[in-house]
Amino acid sequence: MFVYEKKLQYPVKVKNTNPKLASVIISQYGGPDGELGASLRYLSQRFSMPYPELKGLLTDIGTEELGHLEMIGALVHQLTRNLTEEQIRSAGFDTYFVDRTAGVYPTAASGFPYSAASMACKGDLVADLTEDLAADGATIQEQHGWKPLKTLDC
Amino acid sequence: MEKPIQTQTCACAPGMGALPNGCASLAFPYIPMQENNPIRFSRTEALQTGTLFPGLDLPFKAAIQAQTQLPNTALVELMALDFAIKELNLYLDTHAGDQEVLQLYWSYLNLAKEGREKYEKMYGPLTSTTPTPENGYAWLKDPWPWDVGGND
Repeated sequence: MFVYEKKLQYPVKVKNTNPKLASVIISQYGGPDGELGASLRYLSQRFSMPYPELKGLLTDIGTEELGHLEMIGALVHQLTRNLTEEQIRSAGFDTYFVDRTAGVYPTAASGFPYSAASMACKGDLVADLTEDLAADGATIQEQHGWKPLKTLDC
Repeated sequence: MEKPIQTQTCACAPGMGALPNGCASLAFPYIPMQENNPIRFSRTEALQTGTLFPGLDLPFKAAIQAQTQLPNTALVELMALDFAIKELNLYLDTHAGDQEVLQLYWSYLNLAKEGREKYEKMYGPLTSTTPTPENGYAWLKDPWPWDVGGND
């Protein structure tokens, strides 16, 4: 059971519309490693988890991902409000607009609609947690901070 | 004679966690276990940074933090408190025995209950099941969270 709370997890306030940016950010909404995929991945995998720690963790993370999905949706919505025809044409937003207008549609930036084929749910603890790492673990950018294993001096 | 099992007397540095034979950076695929009662950011700092735990604050996130300045509003205050609660919730899922953090979690939950009631009195209901006898069915009132002005 889910209960909706009428506030975002983090404020989304867009001053200037930017359809070009929206057409890229939309991937975080409905792309292969986007928030929709993340919530479905966690919320589906939890059913076969054998330990309460993992049932809880996947439930709680999956729920938080739904909050992230809402933030990205708000962001795309605000980036594409009150567009002029000229803005739509010149910003490369026309290919999205022709199908969805300014609707926030779960799609990858490439135009491929959200597909559950980009996630796995194997009913196996190790396979599923490894899948989560691949999809939602530390990103390449974050790995700049990687440090090698250090031995404890006790 | 067998060597007695050594009890661990030293801790990993901030940003590191324990593996069976040493410490390793947190949040990477070998998954070191975050140690009990880890150091924490303030709530506002946590919301701006995207994590409550300095140990999980990787450079990518730090770069974003440098550009972010959140306004000091009732909404942001509630968001910061709720974010800290969410972070502690996830931490406790894997560290249920950490009594110190559990106490902190409960104290934040009490703060959030009060904060939520105050916020709703001023700005309207946060859930469809909050009674609003003085304002009719206030649930529908604009702005919604994704609207322009919905985060002021």
